[in-house]
Amino acid sequence: MISDDETTARFCRAMGSDCEFHLCFENTSDSQFVFKCMLDELERLESKYSRFRKDSLLSQINLTADQGEEIRIDDETQSLLAHALNCFEQSEGLFDITAGRLNSLWDFKKKKVPTAEEINCALSVTDFTKVSWTNGLLSMPVGMNLDFGGIVKEYAADTLAVLAKKLGVKYGLINLGGDIATVGYKPDDVPWKIGIADPRSTKTEIATINIYSGGLATSGDYKRFFIYKGERFSHILNPKTGFPCTGLRAVSVAANLCTVAGSIATIAMLKEEPDAIDWLNGLGIPFVAMDSNLSILKNDA
Amino acid sequence: MKPRKSSGLIALSATALALPGISLSDAPPAQSSAFYKISNYSEDDLERSESPFGDLERYDIDVHQFRLISPIGRNFSFSLDANHETMSGASPWYTSSDSNGDPIVALSGASGIYDERSEVSFSTSYYLSQGTVSGTAGYSEENDYRAIYYALGGSRNFNSELTTLSFGYSYSSDEIFPTDAALFNRVKHERKNSKSGVVSVSQIISQNSTYQVSLSISEQAGFLSDPYKLKDVRPSSKTQIAFTNSFRHFLQKNNAAVHVNYRYYHDDFGISSHTIDSSWHQNIGRSLRVVPNIRYYTQSAAYFFTNIADFTIPNNAYQSSDYRLSAFGALSGGIDLVFNYGRWSTILSAERYVANDSFAGYAVNRPSASLVKFNRFSIGFEYIF
Repeated sequence: MISDDETTARFCRAMGSDCEFHLCFENTSDSQFVFKCMLDELERLESKYSRFRKDSLLSQINLTADQGEEIRIDDETQSLLAHALNCFEQSEGLFDITAGRLNSLWDFKKKKVPTAEEINCALSVTDFTKVSWTNGLLSMPVGMNLDFGGIVKEYAADTLAVLAKKLGVKYGLINLGGDIATVGYKPDDVPWKIGIADPRSTKTEIATINIYSGGLATSGDYKRFFIYKGERFSHILNPKTGFPCTGLRAVSVAANLCTVAGSIATIAMLKEEPDAIDWLNGLGIPFVAMDSNLSILKNDA
Repeated sequence: MKPRKSSGLIALSATALALPGISLSDAPPAQSSAFYKISNYSEDDLERSESPFGDLERYDIDVHQFRLISPIGRNFSFSLDANHETMSGASPWYTSSDSNGDPIVALSGASGIYDERSEVSFSTSYYLSQGTVSGTAGYSEENDYRAIYYALGGSRNFNSELTTLSFGYSYSSDEIFPTDAALFNRVKHERKNSKSGVVSVSQIISQNSTYQVSLSISEQAGFLSDPYKLKDVRPSSKTQIAFTNSFRHFLQKNNAAVHVNYRYYHDDFGISSHTIDSSWHQNIGRSLRVVPNIRYYTQSAAYFFTNIADFTIPNNAYQSSDYRLSAFGALSGGIDLVFNYGRWSTILSAERYVANDSFAGYAVNRPSASLVKFNRFSIGFEYIF
């Protein structure tokens, strides 16, 4: 996607995504070491917060809650919860990381719509206001499951960008499956040109966004959706209705951090279409969105 | 006109910027590393005209250095340093004058000196969100010398991590018990201690430039003379002050960096000195760095320096013919080659140092007869795991 003569590229598969690193080294010899540190950090975050790994901290948190017990959590997890709560409040309850049960209910491989009873059951244990973590002791209702989707991969991209800078990388770009964070600045005030893929066919681009620094994140029904009785079901679920969101098809947002861009993109997907566009315009940041009529809306801010 | 950033964006940024991986806080090294270096320091021999009798061979020192650094958890790092030196040769014993009145040097006997020095120290650092706290304890031993020391330090970042304020304190307690003390009428057992405080500020000026300034003050008290020299009586306390400036600039077009340092030093023995050095760090391809460097040093003489030992003045009157207390200048230059391949790197260094009273920027009333010239070569290996 990105080619630059001065950067060294590395590709890998992590967090369920194709990941790419494009880094320009100040001490050109450091590349092996830097890439190893970055892959180690990526693995650390994945093994800690993946909901698909039984031995992850997140799985332990969910298991402990099922047993009605409290669990001690570290500073990093508390900070992630604080950011998730902020997203919950800014979105008036639409972005809710306690929707873990709801997310596991909708099986996008089996293409099956859950029953109303199943959905109501999952919604009964979806409510961030019931979670507390005073003094590092996390407690939440029995049956509730956390899911850091929409936060952790974005956070990982930012973390790797900061790590790269600390390890002496001059400038570069981290792309974790569309969640993008920049490292430093490209020389001569040249931006990174990020192509935004078409949700219907990821091989074609619907627009490009130029970013000089910060991050970019995309949310949309790119791969994970199914069509049932002629209706398209997105993987992004509304925690109030229990059903896939019905607003925008996809949105890409550029912001000061990938984590911020990711939170905004997810919230925009969850909002109703006119609301989402108004809200995005009000934020005053660059975005590209595709609405339900497949029209492309762009704001270069 | 661009719309103002909304309060929603600022609110979302506030919690995101507080995430530990994103806040640009100091962090322990991500990996462990082991480093081993062997160096040879070899002083040029004296000319026969400079020393009419005895051995002409001066110091030759082999140094082995080992260092291990490892992170412990996410907030601590630990390092171990071990050094071993073997010294042989001779050092000036006293100076006298020849029939023309020019100073001549007597080296320390035909049997020469052989000594070994071993040193070990442990350091640990704790990394806070906006700085570090660190401590070091060390022990050093020779067959006539023993030192125990410790140091405490801290740093704090300000101004969006662009400014770092650092401070440190160190204390060393040393014991001196010269060999053959009875035979040569040397002191039998003496002590000295040193205290030192330093404060420094480093500032990131731009994407490519940094500047650091530091001030240090040291106090030494106790036996500060050289027990092996025949007429060497120095004051029993010394206050030293040093002011150091460092500038580093990375040149993107050249893929190189230039470092320039200047240091001013003054002590109450009467010695003032200026040091200016510069190095060019040139990256060549992805795995080689070449670092040529040059340094100029000049100092004034201690007020009690004499180039010809005076055996007629009282025993407690200050005097020393140690060339390190004379007025002189020195030029040195060298080159480092740094090769990197995967987890390994190798550093080769060569340096030539020449001290001469004609290089001095200060007045030289009594030139020393025993200023050194030396070569230093080293090879080091580092492994990251």
